[in-house]
Amino acid sequence: MSDDTALGTVRESLASARDSLTAVQMRTPLDSIVRNGRAARRRHRLLALASTGAVAAVAALAVGLTGVTGSAHRAGTIRTAAFILVSHSDGTATLTINPLVLLDPGTLQSDLDQDGIPAMVTAGSFCSSDPQPAGLSDVVSSEPATSGSGPVAEPTITIDPAAMPAGTELSFGNFQAAGSQQTSFTLVSTGSYTCTSTPPALDASGIITLANSRAVQ
Amino acid sequence: MEFSEFYESARDECLRVVLLNVRDRLLAEELVAEGFARAWMSWRKVRHLQVPQAWVVRVALNVNVSRWRRRRREVALGSHDRPTPAGQDAVMSDEVPAALVRRPLRQREVVTLRLLLDLDTETTAGLLGIAPGTVSAHLHKAVAALRSTIPRLDDQEVRT
Repeated sequence: MSDDTALGTVRESLASARDSLTAVQMRTPLDSIVRNGRAARRRHRLLALASTGAVAAVAALAVGLTGVTGSAHRAGTIRTAAFILVSHSDGTATLTINPLVLLDPGTLQSDLDQDGIPAMVTAGSFCSSDPQPAGLSDVVSSEPATSGSGPVAEPTITIDPAAMPAGTELSFGNFQAAGSQQTSFTLVSTGSYTCTSTPPALDASGIITLANSRAVQ
Repeated sequence: MEFSEFYESARDECLRVVLLNVRDRLLAEELVAEGFARAWMSWRKVRHLQVPQAWVVRVALNVNVSRWRRRRREVALGSHDRPTPAGQDAVMSDEVPAALVRRPLRQREVVTLRLLLDLDTETTAGLLGIAPGTVSAHLHKAVAALRSTIPRLDDQEVRT
């Protein structure tokens, strides 16, 4: 048997074995994958921080310095069809949402997380805590919507993760229909919140809502 | 492509490919879930890959080997540490996957990427971080080994 024939036979045999597995399907839900990814990222961050802290402590001891060591923040822009996330060197981030494109919650949550913004992004539902943690206005500020180059005004917010109280994360609830959308933001206590499929009222207290070109708080 | 879209479209294919490599349904699901969780963590990079599911499969296979090595260090190998037999899925009776499981990791990676996911040599080499010639060498060795352990392959030459 030539090499090519053997290769072809092995390929066919493997393909046949794979095709016989059509009944085998992943049962793990997307939520679980994202949750595990977030947990793993937090563990990595803690390890990195511990490592950075140890190195910084050694360096400070070596040169006899005391004081605060700042963490470097990488500036950059993530541009997708549904949103643009700009990370600034001061640790803040600006998020602009395109109301014409369906937002993928997992992608936005992942990108926010990479920028050090603990967030829970949901589509078609909104999560909040009772009582709501204070300090939202220090964390999120909305800006007048701009039309940019597109036909529809795109709401923009600026997020300052350094202002987030310990034990909280940012809840994003995105509701989209027929080219329009409503996105609401609030602070929730990590591990203690409830979610509803009803969009919050535009004037609900402790919640910032962007509805197309309008920002209401 | 968004992550959720990718997960929806690629998860079953990844599971089947990994299942052919480990021959244990539950283990395969666990490994693929781990692969996707890491893909989510690195989505900024993974989303730009030509075949992102190949990245997931490769991570899953590596995680399996890492776990096996850890277990081997922690406990002396006893009968309870041996790989779970394939019998959990009646469909897993084919000889080639059975022989594939016994090949070294690198050969399994190359066979999986080249023959199961249909990646070309260059893409496979890029994903594994090795030279294209090395991919060909591993593939050659793997196919030769599979061929020698499965008489059926040589019988086919007589029949044709």
